[in-house]
Amino acid sequence: MEAVFFITACASILAVLLICFFIFVNGLPAIAKIGVFNFLGGTKWAPLNTVPSFGILPMIVGSLFVTAGAIVIGVPIGLLTAIFMAQFCPKKMYHPLKTIIDLLAGIPSIVYGFFGIAVLVPFVRDTFGGNGNSILTASLLLGIMILPTIIGISEAALRAVPSSYYEGALALGATHERAVFFTVFPAAGSGVLASVVLGIGRAVGETMAVIMVAGNQARMPVGILKGVRTLTANIILEMGYAADLHREALIACGAVLFVFVLLLNFCFSAITEYRRRRE
Amino acid sequence: MKHETINRISFRQRLSSYRNNPLSFLLLLLVWCAMAATVFILLFIVFYILVNGVPHLTPGLFSPVYTTDNVSALPAIITTLLMVGLSLAIAVPFGIGCAIFLVEYAKKTNRFIRYVRLTTETLAGIPSIIYGLFGMLFFVIALKWNLSLLAGGFTLAIMVLPTIMRSTEEALKATPDAYREGSFGLGAGRLRTVFRIVLPSAMPGISAGIILSVGRIVGETAALIYTAGTVAKVPENIFASGRTLSIHMYLLAGEGIYTDQAYATAVILLGFVLVINFISSFITRKITKGQD
Amino acid sequence: MKKFATIAVAFGLLSAILAGCSGGSGSATATPTATESSQSLGEITVISREEGSGTRGAFIELFGVEEKDANGNKVDHTTEEALIANKTDVVITQVAASKSAIGYISLGSLNDTVKALKVDGVDATAENVSNGTYSIARPFNIATKGTPSEVAQDFIDFILSADGQRIVSDNNYIPVDANAATYAGTKPNGKIVVAGSSSVSPLMEKLQEAYLALNPNATIEIQTSDSTTGMQSTMSGICDIGMASRELKDSELAELTPIVIAKDGIAMIVNKENSLDNISSETVKEIYTGVITDWADVA
Repeated sequence: MEAVFFITACASILAVLLICFFIFVNGLPAIAKIGVFNFLGGTKWAPLNTVPSFGILPMIVGSLFVTAGAIVIGVPIGLLTAIFMAQFCPKKMYHPLKTIIDLLAGIPSIVYGFFGIAVLVPFVRDTFGGNGNSILTASLLLGIMILPTIIGISEAALRAVPSSYYEGALALGATHERAVFFTVFPAAGSGVLASVVLGIGRAVGETMAVIMVAGNQARMPVGILKGVRTLTANIILEMGYAADLHREALIACGAVLFVFVLLLNFCFSAITEYRRRRE
Repeated sequence: MKHETINRISFRQRLSSYRNNPLSFLLLLLVWCAMAATVFILLFIVFYILVNGVPHLTPGLFSPVYTTDNVSALPAIITTLLMVGLSLAIAVPFGIGCAIFLVEYAKKTNRFIRYVRLTTETLAGIPSIIYGLFGMLFFVIALKWNLSLLAGGFTLAIMVLPTIMRSTEEALKATPDAYREGSFGLGAGRLRTVFRIVLPSAMPGISAGIILSVGRIVGETAALIYTAGTVAKVPENIFASGRTLSIHMYLLAGEGIYTDQAYATAVILLGFVLVINFISSFITRKITKGQD
Repeated sequence: MKKFATIAVAFGLLSAILAGCSGGSGSATATPTATESSQSLGEITVISREEGSGTRGAFIELFGVEEKDANGNKVDHTTEEALIANKTDVVITQVAASKSAIGYISLGSLNDTVKALKVDGVDATAENVSNGTYSIARPFNIATKGTPSEVAQDFIDFILSADGQRIVSDNNYIPVDANAATYAGTKPNGKIVVAGSSSVSPLMEKLQEAYLALNPNATIEIQTSDSTTGMQSTMSGICDIGMASRELKDSELAELTPIVIAKDGIAMIVNKENSLDNISSETVKEIYTGVITDWADVA
């Protein structure tokens, strides 16, 4: 029976290898043709001109900005809400709250997109100026979208901490808040970190909603109230029409995105490894 | 929270304790504010959808055949159910099996574990658009499944695998070792212990993972457009193409002709997710009944 | 403590609900109170479509936003500041929500949440497109590879017949042949797959329903994606008929036979609160190339 479990465990490795293979085989030739420097460092993206330019630096920077914004907005609120759900929530409130959060996890990103256009864009335009389609708006929307992910997983991680930690802290005279924040929360570290990584993953990879509020200008970001195009937006905007080198360049965009995710996970596992060593 | 009844303190006592501990009070405030913000945003979105969608919910949306006049969502609803079933049928056994292997069987220092964990986290971070591209290149073209439920189902199964695996793993880890030791002590084997003792007690965590996955499947668009296609009727078999509710909505909204119906579809989608959540929490309660 | 908390939460929820309602209904029934003079609207929010979109391709060509440089290469001069919307409805929603916005959409998708501008004094109507006074229009193509199957041929015959062309004009698109003969089909048996442009597929769905009413023996599946995917699927034989909202490229023409089934006008749209009614094509070009950036400069 152990063998069966072993095989199922191999599934994810196999899947990643397959995805790597197909994305890189289809994407790398384009990078080679365009030139690594021109592709990653170029600031002009004009694939349909007769002399096309395939520089994706604006999109790379754009993705970084938008994701960073989403983390700044979504992670604190999400973690605090998870702490609330796990340790502060009055019993009667728990069920309705949980239902709403689960519900939100299931709303398609395109609905968030509509919400973004009709509510967030005018809000940002009237409050902060600019035309509303901006890095800030996209960050706000993504920050909201990653809430259910972060809350769900962190809450589970917080609940998994043995109650003896909490009780021990109380016995030493800590208040409820201190016990939760300085004993239980750090003990749930790996789960909390996992939730943040998943949240970042969702933010980096979000397409359908971002495309509606980010403005999608293929130029270097010039300000938090100005529009920006992310890597994912670039792929889905043009994939449908692209042919030949343009199409390969878009798959190469996917490859770059993929490398991002790999780097992210590498950092994550390096951190968990470090923590484990220290313990 | 059992301890609450033991060391119950009055409101006044609590206030005075906060005077000595301003930081604690600040943290309490922060937590409540975050909760209020989350609830406010989430309710706002839900109401926004309801206000825009409910007035356009017409009986025509539920007629058995899709036409351009009624833009019925029923075929899409059925397709969504099929898609959820198919994807979960593939992903759940693999996800749970994998988690069981990692937590119950593999040695903690095993190098293999690190690879599995690294790849799972990689999978979790891959954007759905890349799953779409991969599904198109691999299942649709290389395996010649064409645009079909099967290709869509497999693509989504890979996509939700890490969610199910991760949450199962966390839930298994959270099961106290005393359960396992007790079971071993009574003479049960490892397999029996896993299936009879550990899995049931981890059920709430596992079902949380499944709920998240169902949500992701139901809400997915980018990965499905290139793998499952957009035909607006109930697929006859798993090799036929079909559109799920969110693709249906995406297409309705796309050309600006059926925007109202698109919002109505979003309401149906919400109801859908609500029902799924309800069912799964019901199942969880059934399974865990009498366990604690 | 608990009681206090419950009350606080109840209050929070209530205010959230109220805010949600007012916000939602407010945006749902955005009734314009007064039209503002276009001059006072400030910076223009230019909304364009993604590169490769059939609508954008036709737009930049017709308004001269795309120009040849010294070497004879075509260069798209759309301003980098333009917002890029990936769907027609996104353009409409953006324009409906922003007073200072201008965008362009398919005439068939035009609705009353936005205002269509006259271009050079001519109304954007199907009638004006077909009589040639409104010149901003593009073809809807379908394409087949080799000899189409019996059903595919019969369906194409139907589309080009008087019955099919009437459906085209009923849906605000422009028929290609006003004097077509009525459909006299052979009602063949079989199944075909039609795939391609999301701009064409709403029309194709209407055509398919009308056709199936006449010929219940046939089965037609419609896959909605985009022009290029449609052409590629047709070339690889996955589908029988491809749909494109643009002219076919040379590489596609080598393998496929295109047929124009309808024409579609492109309408310039602005927010309903914008007082502007008419715009010259020269101004449109200057707005989209970034020469004019403020409504005050729009003549």
